[in-house]
Amino acid sequence: MAELEVRVVSERREGLLVELGRIISEHDHVLLRQRLAADVQGTCATLVLRGPDERRLALEDALEAHPRVLSLASSGGVALHASPVASSARAKHPASRVGGAEVAKIERILPNLAKDYPRIFPWLIHLEYEVAVEARNASLHLAGRRTGCWVYKRDYALGAKLGLLDAMRRIALPALREFVPAEQHGSELHLRDCPLCQPGGASGGHFFCGFLEGLLMDAVDEPSLAVHEIHCHSHGAAACVFEVSQ
Amino acid sequence: MHSHYNALLVCLSYAVSVLGSFTALQLALSIPLANHPRKRLGAVLAAGTAMGGGAIWTMHFIAMLACNMGVQVSYDVWLTAVSALLAIVACSLGLAMVSAARVRFVHLLGAGVLMGLGVAGMHYIGMMAMLTSARASYDLPMVALSVAIAIVASMVALWLAFNLRGWLQMLGSSLVMGVAVCGMHFVGMAALMLMPGDSLPVGFEQGVRGDRLGLMTFAVVIALLALALGMSIARQQRRAAVTI
Repeated sequence: MAELEVRVVSERREGLLVELGRIISEHDHVLLRQRLAADVQGTCATLVLRGPDERRLALEDALEAHPRVLSLASSGGVALHASPVASSARAKHPASRVGGAEVAKIERILPNLAKDYPRIFPWLIHLEYEVAVEARNASLHLAGRRTGCWVYKRDYALGAKLGLLDAMRRIALPALREFVPAEQHGSELHLRDCPLCQPGGASGGHFFCGFLEGLLMDAVDEPSLAVHEIHCHSHGAAACVFEVSQ
Repeated sequence: MHSHYNALLVCLSYAVSVLGSFTALQLALSIPLANHPRKRLGAVLAAGTAMGGGAIWTMHFIAMLACNMGVQVSYDVWLTAVSALLAIVACSLGLAMVSAARVRFVHLLGAGVLMGLGVAGMHYIGMMAMLTSARASYDLPMVALSVAIAIVASMVALWLAFNLRGWLQMLGSSLVMGVAVCGMHFVGMAALMLMPGDSLPVGFEQGVRGDRLGLMTFAVVIALLALALGMSIARQQRRAAVTI
């Protein structure tokens, strides 16, 4: 048994402890103390937990994956440091992006994305207009990441972890093809005729970067994953090209 | 002595092995998601029982009912039970091994060997349980071929089940596992040589006969269908409950 301190940032505090408490007890931990404080992104909950050490990573993983958790840091000792899960999450998803995204507007639009999936482009275009110009890329990225995580858990979670190229072929490609023509060339994914990336307009590539990260981060057996857009139809390329690397 | 097969029952035996494999492999896919050792053990045993008891044991006895060897046959109850238990234990161990985070070749090999030996062990103990006046012997190269088919096809089925996604994962793995079970059985039966004997063995009257065997296999098939249906409903509910 070990004590663990977890700091979770969420947009709203209502019901947060109940939802996190359920995950904590499912992972054989008990909540010893908690503190809720206002945060620039909403609310910050500091939780002191006790439970078996071998379940710690699974617990952190489950907490980090919870839709209401924007970021997570944990500490098993005195000094608070980022957990491996949180570190990898931040590597894939820099804090500035979370900070720059207009979370409340994304939260409002996500249920509509789920309801109309895979016909999501009208909602994404709506989101683009809804958020401030400087928050556009981070908001699209966060919306993509949340959608990718959701699609993975819904349709692709059953099965073993895969190598990156296999995960791209068996998970990313069929998931993308539900709403845009896509092809795989090695570690690159080529998307054609993407409605978010019209020539002369702004690039919607941030959504797909987030989508692919959310979709693949639990599917591959490596802890880190990075998706970059290397060509975009909006900048004159024939197709939007995304490179996925570990 | 020559054996004759009822084609309809042979097809039924393959269908039952595919149904059992489908149920077992779908249960096995949920093993890595179990977040508690007790849940994991439950999932392993459920998958192993569906595979060993459903896909393998039931298929074997439907195929034996399909086979007319020209002599009266009954089955020793204890050896028949042992054959089912062996298949369940071997398949549970194999599925537990292969449901690691990432399925590497060594996992596939270990699980394939365990499951292949489970299929073959069940078959040959099931044949030992056969009580008949005929004397049985085996063509050893054919026996080895039957075991090899079971191991290789099990490995392919497990690879398909754990590494693919979608319909090919669900259906392809079950069809190939059905080939593993039926291929092993019918090659094993081809290895069997029966010589006419003149007296029935001790315990023949107490053995399980075809009519009761038919009822038992029917009960297992109904249980498999109910399990597959329940699992499908549970999956639909789980899928609908995933929040974005």
